[in-house]
Amino acid sequence: MEIVVCIKPVPDAETRLRANPAGTALDGEGVKWALAGYDESAVEQALLLKEANPGSRVRAVSFGPAPRTEEVLRAALALGADGATFLEHPAEVVPDPLLAARAVAAHLGRATWDLVLVGKQAGDDEAGLFGGALAELVDAPSFGGVMALTYDASARRFTFRRSVEGGAEAAEVPGRAVLALQQAWNDPRTAKLPNILKSRRATIDKVAWATTAGALGPLGTPTTQSVGFRLPAPRSGAKMIDYRTPEEAAEKLVRLLQEEAKVFP
Amino acid sequence: MVDFSLTEEQTSLQEMARKFARSEMLPRAAECDKNSRFPEEVYRKAWELGLMNLNVPSDFGGSGLSLLDQVLIVEELARACAGMTTSILANCLALEPILIGASPEQKQRLLAPFCASFHLASFCLTEPAGGSDAGALTTRARRDGDAYVLDGEKCFITNAPHASLYTVFATVDPALRHRGITAFVVPRSAEGLSTGKDEDKMGHRASATSTVRFEGVRVPVDDRLGAEGDGFSIAMRTLDQTRTPIGAIALGIAQAALGYAGEYALQRHTFGKPIAEHQAIQLKIADMAQAVHASRLLVWHAAWLIDHGRKGTLESSIAKCFASDAAMRVADEAIQIFGGYGYMRDYPVEKLLRDAKLTQIYEGSNEIQRIVIAREQLKGAA
Amino acid sequence: MTARVLVIGEIRDGHLLASSLEAVGAARACAGPSDRLEGLLVGPAAAAASPAFAAAGLASVACVADAALERPTPWAWSRAIVAAATAAGAELVILAGTAAGRDVAGRVAARWEAAAVTGVTAIGRAPGGRLRLSRPVFGGRATQEVEVAAPRAVLAVRPHAFPAPAPTASAAPATELPGGTGPEGDGRILGFEHVEGGAGPDLGDAAVVVSGGRGVRAADNFSLIEELARSLGAAVGASRAVTDAGWRPVSYQVGQTGKSVTPQLYVAVGISGAIQHLVGMVSSRVIVAINSDAQAPIFRVADYGIVGDLFAIVPALTREVRRVRGIA
Repeated sequence: MEIVVCIKPVPDAETRLRANPAGTALDGEGVKWALAGYDESAVEQALLLKEANPGSRVRAVSFGPAPRTEEVLRAALALGADGATFLEHPAEVVPDPLLAARAVAAHLGRATWDLVLVGKQAGDDEAGLFGGALAELVDAPSFGGVMALTYDASARRFTFRRSVEGGAEAAEVPGRAVLALQQAWNDPRTAKLPNILKSRRATIDKVAWATTAGALGPLGTPTTQSVGFRLPAPRSGAKMIDYRTPEEAAEKLVRLLQEEAKVFP
Repeated sequence: MVDFSLTEEQTSLQEMARKFARSEMLPRAAECDKNSRFPEEVYRKAWELGLMNLNVPSDFGGSGLSLLDQVLIVEELARACAGMTTSILANCLALEPILIGASPEQKQRLLAPFCASFHLASFCLTEPAGGSDAGALTTRARRDGDAYVLDGEKCFITNAPHASLYTVFATVDPALRHRGITAFVVPRSAEGLSTGKDEDKMGHRASATSTVRFEGVRVPVDDRLGAEGDGFSIAMRTLDQTRTPIGAIALGIAQAALGYAGEYALQRHTFGKPIAEHQAIQLKIADMAQAVHASRLLVWHAAWLIDHGRKGTLESSIAKCFASDAAMRVADEAIQIFGGYGYMRDYPVEKLLRDAKLTQIYEGSNEIQRIVIAREQLKGAA
Repeated sequence: MTARVLVIGEIRDGHLLASSLEAVGAARACAGPSDRLEGLLVGPAAAAASPAFAAAGLASVACVADAALERPTPWAWSRAIVAAATAAGAELVILAGTAAGRDVAGRVAARWEAAAVTGVTAIGRAPGGRLRLSRPVFGGRATQEVEVAAPRAVLAVRPHAFPAPAPTASAAPATELPGGTGPEGDGRILGFEHVEGGAGPDLGDAAVVVSGGRGVRAADNFSLIEELARSLGAAVGASRAVTDAGWRPVSYQVGQTGKSVTPQLYVAVGISGAIQHLVGMVSSRVIVAINSDAQAPIFRVADYGIVGDLFAIVPALTREVRRVRGIA
């Protein structure tokens, strides 16, 4: 089975968020980029499938600016991916998940594959658009919020659970599908030290932006533009509830939530 | 030319160690400290990921890292738990004499099993009657045909209750002082070898420490490292290699203390503002930061020198001595910033002080380090 | 100029979701007086659900009563949506950002060659007339403003972000669109089976979150938190102290190294409010803190605070919530 896992670098969880001088996006200065969250789960899922289905190969694909995009590909190689493709994009921030989907679709069009795995959404823009858009562009079925994925080789069919509001659904889909994975249902492995060293020397296939842009034509233009990035204003402190008995505290709080804050469910 | 930038490779090693420390070590640190529990599951996982045997060359299946790479990893591990780090590092210490003194055949035979599966090794130098005065050790090795017979006792031996191999320093003739000291490797299964009770320590409580007794233990000549009398030199060259990582353990403790103290100072309010806005606290944070940064530079420099073929005795002694003294001060100030909470076991900083104390003592007490530093320094002055 | 907006309704177990009515609210928030708002419903319950949908303020509702679309796959649903959007001559498609809604948005955008923005919490127009949208990013730690630079757009609005319009007496016609856009399109989707989780809402999506911290003191006492959460229909979270101590698994952790949440209501019980926790929940709309230490930093980010013994307050609060919500 040929598995493609699409990943992207996101700011490390501990990044102190700050707007860029223009106030239009995150300030990338000093940000530590990492393979994180949903994407990490996606790589783990790809490796679990590969291990369960001997002869399978995992290729990591990422679209974005150097060097951070190459770095997450190396992280995927260190975790156990067999190959990596770097689709270069010149912008500091990839402007649009749809553009990323078009770029990857243009690349995948030339490759044979059975399954594309992506994270349900990325930890930064949280758009969650990439998987569905990619699936549409390569004319494959797609599902999001996927967990506990298995492959029935004789039927060439994937079965999985899918996280939805208030529970989960069981679903299945035949091969050549795009599945967007839920975070943290699996316990992503840590790369082994010798594999990290090996991944530094591995070759990453690079596709120049000019090649991708040529393939996309007018669709290579972003359809959205980030024009603002704001951090929440600090709060001024709590309204403290006076009470004589716990019951009184409970009654007062519930009333405030109903009548003043209007958030009582 | 001076260049302090880390390579991408070094950054990935550092990140990997940080991740392991946070996900595997930190969540268990308080519990292992409280119960003096040896978390074998953590050490096994460290082995699986290649975080043990960092100094063993890749020819034998080890990680074969430079000393600078090693100290980057050690700092990250020690930020989470110094005790576990000591146990993870004990293999490097115990296997270093083999790297230094063993024949190619011995290296292949002795090192390969450590890289093929999880095993612990212990470095047995210190004795009840003397630690840093290694020339005066009393464990005897008497030649008997094609073997030696070992008698004596070693103490404060890291991982000893769990080790499968011991590197042991014994004398073939006490009258020869350091020229009689000879190095051996002894398997756990050797008849007459026994370990004592796990010591109840002030800190580093996730690490196991005990005595090792040798009562008529027969060691084949094949398991002698180098020639008779090479032992002292092997031990000293080993400590030249491992002293810097001890500095890195102290650095990790100090970095953790600084991190906790800074986070708390921003959060805790007195007199209507975060205590971080009181100058009394700012001065402490500033001093702590200086100590941490200076320690890191000294540790990196010593490692770099050794990686570039210098002996680095002076610099590694300075790094170990300075970083461990700094760790004590920084941990002490962290508790002070936390105030009453800092004194409580529910908070992570008092453990750092207890853990820091050992770094001033083990692998050559800071008094010995100062003797070495002065001796090296005065050599130049003569 | 009249713009046409297509609002996608989502039906679960025969009922129109409240978040679909909120999507109509979002459409009304950005539509001008002359704009025309239309709806789309799919599945066997479409016709039955259309009056309630229309009453939120739609001029008409198109229904695709295809039984195969009862629980539509993203593949099938996206085809129905694009067909309806094309038929309506729409420039804007708005849907609720539920799990299914977020799943289909990217497909629709790619198929329809439109821009797409998800997690929308506010809709406006930039000076040049472009759509300008606000959306939380980085787990609610920041808000991004996005402008649409394409003639068509798909918006998925965040649940709870827009009010559902009060129902109006509506005579909006329900029109029938043809089926045949179902999964038989290429027959790759083999089936669904519903397995009810029942373990409460997902921490990341929940409208209400109740979290416990070190003050809970022991793993067994965490049931107090869980009972309060159950009474509120809330997800259960925890501070790092709790997951570090092993009282609850790491998946419960809210904070810098855990999940970031932005519910309507966040109840912090026995949580002092370490920065590492605050960054994961500070963007919640309303925060309640219950703590025995009046100096705890959590009270500085909270909207309502109760200083007291959580072991007395929380059971009383659970009883009161159950009484008010009519839970036996």
